[in-house]
Amino acid sequence: MGSYVTTLCKEITSTLSQLPQASPLKTLFFGGGTPSLLPPQYLSRIVDTLDQHCGFQCDAEISMEMDPGTFDKQTLKQFLGLGVNRVSLGVQSFNEDFLKACGRSHGLQDVYEALDIITGLNVSNWSLDLISSLPHQTLEHWEECLREAIGLSPAHVSVYDLQIEEGTKFGVWYKPGHHPLPDEDKSASFYRLASSLLREAGYEHYEISNYAKPGFQCRHNMVYWKNQPYYGFGLGATSYFNGKRFSRPRKLKGYADFVELCINQSSDNFSANEEYLSFYSNTVESVEDRVCDTIMLSLRLASGLNLNELSKNFGHELRVHICKSFLPFINSGHAVAVDSKFKTVPPDTFSTALSEQSASKVLKDVIFIRLTDPDGFLLSNEIISSLFTDLPIK
Amino acid sequence: MDILARIQAASITAPCLAPQHHHKHLQQLCFPMSTGHHFSCFYMHQNHFPVAMPGHPCRIPSGSIRCQSGAVEAPEMQDVKFSKSMLSFDMGKDRLSKVPASQIRNFSIIAHIDHGKSTLADKLLQVTGTVSDREMKEQFLDNMDLERERGITIKLQAARMRYVAKDGEPYCLNLIDTPGHVDFSYEVSRSLAACEGALLVVDASQGVEAQTLANVYLALENNLEIIPVLNKIDLPGADPERVRNEIEEIVGLDCSEAIFCSAKEGIGIQEILESIVAKVPPPKDTSMNPLRALIFDSYYDPYRGVIVYFRVVDGSIKIHDKIQFMASGKEYEVDELGVLSPGQMQVNELFAGEVGYLAASIRSVADARVGDTITSSANKAGMALSGYQEAVPMVFCGLFPVDADQFGELREALEKLQLNDAALKYEPESSSAMGFGFRCGFLGLLHMEIVQERLEREYGLNLITTAPSVVYRVQCADNTVVECSNPCELPEPGKRVWIEEPFVNIEMITPKEYIGTLMELAQERRGEFKEMKYITESRASVIYILPLAEMVGDFFDQLKSRSKGYASMEYSLSGYRKSDLVRLDILINGEPMDPLAAIVHKDKAFAVGRALTQKLKELIPRQMFKIPIQVTIGTRVIASESISAMRKDVLAKCYGGDISRKKKLLKKQAEGKKRMKSVGRVEVPQDAFMAVLRLEKEVV
Repeated sequence: MGSYVTTLCKEITSTLSQLPQASPLKTLFFGGGTPSLLPPQYLSRIVDTLDQHCGFQCDAEISMEMDPGTFDKQTLKQFLGLGVNRVSLGVQSFNEDFLKACGRSHGLQDVYEALDIITGLNVSNWSLDLISSLPHQTLEHWEECLREAIGLSPAHVSVYDLQIEEGTKFGVWYKPGHHPLPDEDKSASFYRLASSLLREAGYEHYEISNYAKPGFQCRHNMVYWKNQPYYGFGLGATSYFNGKRFSRPRKLKGYADFVELCINQSSDNFSANEEYLSFYSNTVESVEDRVCDTIMLSLRLASGLNLNELSKNFGHELRVHICKSFLPFINSGHAVAVDSKFKTVPPDTFSTALSEQSASKVLKDVIFIRLTDPDGFLLSNEIISSLFTDLPIK
Repeated sequence: MDILARIQAASITAPCLAPQHHHKHLQQLCFPMSTGHHFSCFYMHQNHFPVAMPGHPCRIPSGSIRCQSGAVEAPEMQDVKFSKSMLSFDMGKDRLSKVPASQIRNFSIIAHIDHGKSTLADKLLQVTGTVSDREMKEQFLDNMDLERERGITIKLQAARMRYVAKDGEPYCLNLIDTPGHVDFSYEVSRSLAACEGALLVVDASQGVEAQTLANVYLALENNLEIIPVLNKIDLPGADPERVRNEIEEIVGLDCSEAIFCSAKEGIGIQEILESIVAKVPPPKDTSMNPLRALIFDSYYDPYRGVIVYFRVVDGSIKIHDKIQFMASGKEYEVDELGVLSPGQMQVNELFAGEVGYLAASIRSVADARVGDTITSSANKAGMALSGYQEAVPMVFCGLFPVDADQFGELREALEKLQLNDAALKYEPESSSAMGFGFRCGFLGLLHMEIVQERLEREYGLNLITTAPSVVYRVQCADNTVVECSNPCELPEPGKRVWIEEPFVNIEMITPKEYIGTLMELAQERRGEFKEMKYITESRASVIYILPLAEMVGDFFDQLKSRSKGYASMEYSLSGYRKSDLVRLDILINGEPMDPLAAIVHKDKAFAVGRALTQKLKELIPRQMFKIPIQVTIGTRVIASESISAMRKDVLAKCYGGDISRKKKLLKKQAEGKKRMKSVGRVEVPQDAFMAVLRLEKEVV
């Protein structure tokens, strides 16, 4: 563990020291694997390293994913002392059987103990993860689970479907859409129920899978969905800056080699390792990729696709083109156009505007197009892929 | 053998195909052919639809057989390395030398696939010294390599052999090959018309098969002397006596002098040669008359233009002669003249009774159609030889490129194929669902399959083919008769009085245990029982009249599978009859899918309609809205289903590390959409079209 943290800190140092001026961090997120198992002294080293090279803004959001049963009060207290101010708790379910079914090592008791620790330390900004569409799960079970979560009053709730990955035990046991997994219709009704109950309880459904009380959206994750740049450090971590998306090696040895290279590169040994590095390095995202990223990510958000930004980045023609592609979905109620006063543009007006010669002028009034909740969100893949199919760029 | 070789060659010329693929492919073809065939490039029929890319066929790559003939300039002869092969030609070396017409014998071999035609032909070539044992083998291997490397198929349509008979006289024997399938019965009849005799080869362990019978009748119509040969007598299961009786009974041929033979073992070959000399009448010596030569085959060579195979009936033909094709009226000058033995060997002149080839810079085989008569421009014959027919397509289907961008390539490919295939007809067709394509007409199913296969394999096209259709005759209310081969173009019910469809006489020959199941099959296909007779104790011939439309689907596949491969069949057009037919339209979300429209018998409409809607429901993925699928006759809905709207398609998690992967997934989904055909607002996957078309072939 110690040597991994050392390597990680080396990567941070070498990356950030190469930058002419690294601005203070607005958000920091510890996730992937189980960061709550990290001994606090190591966390301290990481935070110190970052502080040294770029520092933090005073209101920086520092989140940590924590799993029930992997930490005690003392540990969390130390984490908080080191600056962690947002906890994302991987509860998954409030039912012992389903906890087993979704392959978690923790039990229901661990869940309540963890919740006690969090509330005992007055962490106000905490989030709770739930998984739906578990084997044998019924709508009644799911409602119980959602009500239990709402009763605990977290600032933020993430709701996911059980993902059956090929090659896993689940993949062998279960086929999506087949008994005992819920079928597509049932799975859709789980999603609808979560959306209506959580919104009723005062949560904003601000992203396809995320709900937050006002002011408690996860600022870090918003960076992803707004397609803004971010650093990434550590095993398998991804980063997006200078227009490049980059995934680090997923194996420890490969990662260590990669970090060595980064260090050599930062000294003037660049050319010798260029070849090796090119294996990892990524090219700058193409315009098509950037358009796709923008569409795919922004439509996950309740606010939707910002057309002004779209024309600013990719030109006015694309704006008109995309509006046309959206027309059938706006007509079918899966998407809505929103004007500068955040008022919905009626489908008829939108469609008339598109068919007229002066389309471009009228369309200037449409500032956002967003998917509807839950109908549009539920079919977001279908809609996004249709938009991709229509894109004028190859 | 012809068909088989043809199809095998289609496989061979596609270099990436694994051998087992050939077999798989064979099973998909709906034609009479049995397994256990073998492949000999010497006896591949020079087909009308050559399977290889036009290359430089028929020129045997080595100069070894061009020796000892005054008629051939052979500078290679000086080359010492050919001397050995020259030695091996002692026997057949004089085969180019001129013999009087009285010593010419023109014959063909009639046999069922697998009954040993090619082996026998090989043996005749070897025994007469036309090709040496060693060369036969070498040639075979060489050719295979050549085919693989250059996509060339060495083909043989005719072989001239020299045989010194027991009477001490040298004879010139011309073997003329015939295609074996009924699709090409016209071509078969022209090949037979070029002969005076035929060997009827029947497998002594199997007996007479349906196609053999059809070709024997064609031979009898052409007044050919038929010599029965019982082949494979060396096999343990051989029962030549039984088969001899069978031939006598079915064909009504005197078989007392039938030759017992094993081409493989070389038994009976001498007797066959003697029998040809003794029994096949010599051609009449009419060298003094104006030229008349019968074209029995032709193929397109990109370097020399069309190569025409012909039999000189009257007069003579010389190199540089001006000639005219009497049906097409076109005139040419003979650039090259020769005989086939079995490679092309140039000569200066050919006389009445002889068989040869010519090249005259002819641009398309349509200008030198099988059955046409060649005459001399200077001394025209008064009348053409009888029997010429224009190619009449019997089966039609729509061919559409899967990728609309391939339309131009498809047109070019069809143009090229037509150069070599006078029977292939096509015209542009467009449909809302399928875009632009062609409506193509074929002689029959095999012809259709071959063309489709070649377009896909040789020209790399990805095609959607609509269900095959026949030509309907519609009596309209305004007293006109409309011929219609495309269901979409069938006049509206109100405008038509009745519809007639083509019927065929079909003869199935089967071991008796399958009689019941085959009658059932024919009955299911609207067949009308005509006659059944036992050929022998254990085999029967069953004759039905049934609509051609019922034949063009999977009838042959069914016949083979229901008889475990033992039954064979033959059919011939018997004419048009009124039928109670309706057009089924398929509507998806209210939009008609033209290419899926089908003409079916009223009694079958409901069953077909149900099957089609169910299949489409299975195959069209859910979309954002509910999709009704309907099958209608006119405005009446006879079957309907609906696909419920998609409920959920969403990626739950998408954080920093997921972006690239999720984008890939969505792009893949977008690609999938591009491959679908839009029917109105509905996206229909390609394989749904395919499956429905397949289903139509099966059940319509």
